[in-house]
Amino acid sequence: MKEATLFPLAFLLYILAAFFYFASHFSRREKLAKSGSAVALVGFLVHNLALILRTIETGHAPFTNMYESLSFFAWSTVLAMVIAERVFRFYRLSAYLMLIVIALMALASSPLMPKEAMPLVPALQSYWLWLHVSVTLLGEAFFAIAFVASILYLLALRKEKAGEKISNSLNPEKLDSLSYRAVAIGFPLFTLGGLVFGMVWANVAWGRYWSWDPKEVWSLITWFVFALYLHTRIVMGWKGRRSAWIAILGFLAALFTYFGVNYLLSGLHSYA
Amino acid sequence: MSSLIRFFTSVKVAITLLIILTLASILGTLIPQGRSHEEYLLHYGQLANLLEKLQLTKLYQSFWYLTLLFLFGLNLTICTLLRLPPKIKRLLQPRVDFKPPDLEALRFHHSLSLNLSLDSADQALREILKSRHYRWGEKKTETELTINARKRMAGIFGSDIVHLAILLILFGGIISGLLSFRTDLALHEGEVAEVAWAGFSVRLNSFETEYYPNGQVKDWKSSLTVVENGREIVSKIVEVNHPLNHKNFMFYQSAYGWDWDKAEVELLLRSAEAEAGEKRVKVKTGEKIKVDDETEIQLHRFLPDFVLDENKQPFSRSNEPNNPAALVEITKNGEKAFSGWLFARFPEFSQLHPGKGSSLSAELKNYSASQYSVIHVSRDPGTRFIWAGCILIMLGLALAFYWLPREIRFYLRSEGGRTALTAGGIATKNRESFAKEMETIIALLRKKK
Repeated sequence: MKEATLFPLAFLLYILAAFFYFASHFSRREKLAKSGSAVALVGFLVHNLALILRTIETGHAPFTNMYESLSFFAWSTVLAMVIAERVFRFYRLSAYLMLIVIALMALASSPLMPKEAMPLVPALQSYWLWLHVSVTLLGEAFFAIAFVASILYLLALRKEKAGEKISNSLNPEKLDSLSYRAVAIGFPLFTLGGLVFGMVWANVAWGRYWSWDPKEVWSLITWFVFALYLHTRIVMGWKGRRSAWIAILGFLAALFTYFGVNYLLSGLHSYA
Repeated sequence: MSSLIRFFTSVKVAITLLIILTLASILGTLIPQGRSHEEYLLHYGQLANLLEKLQLTKLYQSFWYLTLLFLFGLNLTICTLLRLPPKIKRLLQPRVDFKPPDLEALRFHHSLSLNLSLDSADQALREILKSRHYRWGEKKTETELTINARKRMAGIFGSDIVHLAILLILFGGIISGLLSFRTDLALHEGEVAEVAWAGFSVRLNSFETEYYPNGQVKDWKSSLTVVENGREIVSKIVEVNHPLNHKNFMFYQSAYGWDWDKAEVELLLRSAEAEAGEKRVKVKTGEKIKVDDETEIQLHRFLPDFVLDENKQPFSRSNEPNNPAALVEITKNGEKAFSGWLFARFPEFSQLHPGKGSSLSAELKNYSASQYSVIHVSRDPGTRFIWAGCILIMLGLALAFYWLPREIRFYLRSEGGRTALTAGGIATKNRESFAKEMETIIALLRKKK
């Protein structure tokens, strides 16, 4: 078996899982969501195998070019989703998270992303590569959960205003609390992986822990946005609508740090 | 004065500062930082002068950005200091002077009547609290009992520890900015260089570049030895990601290069006259050598990566030998026989432009220049504060998010053999799990006989 066959298989399983999740919404049958969850889990296991094979095939961490990185980000998002489903016992977010995963997998599969493995450039030959990238992306995956919960929250509010009946799975208060709990997991992970491990590695590889490189600045900006989210919420009691918007902005900043910086701004981090 | 203090204690100011810092930081990623004046002129035209005047081209080192950071630090310090005393008081002096209405006003509260005497209710409650890892303070009279049970109180200091960590990191940044020392050493093999302010020297024993089978660079390795008062102290192969640390001086593999302006090339001379045949000669830049009685060769220039600029003037695009070229002049009996660029990759190119009326041609066969390794040296006393800050910030985040303080206040009152109990709970985070915790404790109490 090869990574090149397992990756599309995982992709297909994720699409199937999304199908089940959405079917569950429209038919309002919880059982279908559980089937979706099971299919997503199988897809996740296949994806695990794909990443392991990729690591063996290339001899290095499976996130050193954009194809690998997208695949790994998708994997992290599914991992975060699997954890969130078990901790929060809530399936409504999964359908939309699966859409994000599918978008990432589709982008990774696109011909724009060169798939051949290149040997590692000297700067990336470090175990900090594993720690820095994996923990950061896992943190960002939890930001994705907060993002989805916040969007659903805003939609639920709009429905409520329009006088529509809201199903229990779209309870605004629950969505607001889920968004916070996802940030409560994502923020420490992002701080550890992105900023702390990033500074330690930069000091080892480049000789300085902070260089104001655009990727560094954007991860700081992402961190500021979530710091704002936490302070406005806890100290100023901003819950609900405004809080949701900050979480949405925060995830967009994280996405820009991950993706936009590589393509739109140049700097030290231009490896992929 | 007091309004100034109030200004810095306000959370709104903290949040405003955070927003301004965020926007300023974004601006700095949109304008390329630290480029030359010419580049800005080319890119922004007349706007360049304004950008430079507003320090937007060195934004993160600019006076106004540093002022923002300073104000942010000041606000953080004052906010944190003001929040501390009430928290410490809460930790050291748990309140036990409350009445049932106070408890019923709390978000989580329960009231029940127990079929126990006050003493046995007290004992039962203590057992339950102990088994659930609570610590408590209490106040008891004949008929009344107040208990304040708490656990994981360290959690209330989580955010303060995070703030302290940020201040440490900012402080580390200031120390780095003011006191760090950095320099680059370009060393040839065998060369010894004294490290400024260090009182010792480093010697480059050898430098090599390793390649993958596909020709891509795998690693650069500099074998370095620290020499102190003529004695060899320590040696290490320094590679990217593997610096040498000696007495807080760090030595990093940073770059490498060739002295191309002192290049030596090997030329192949061909003469159409049969008796002369082919001849290989070596010549250094700037040198003029005699090939035979009639022929002389001079190497004027060598460029490792030949390209023409917009004025058709040759220059080297990089230091990598991607398109090596030599500007050579050959004279025969004092007359110019050939003059022009020879290209190692395109030997036929020079043959298209042979010297007028000459049967001589030349090819650039080989080229070499001595290689050097660039070692980045840094001594940064700020790093220790940064690492301390990093450890503290993670500790603080763990406490703030996952070491959730729980406080339950109980008021018990003896009522003719039975005991009336009111409980009120305080929790700021993860309230669902706290609500369950309180329900469990109440349920356990009801079961006690």
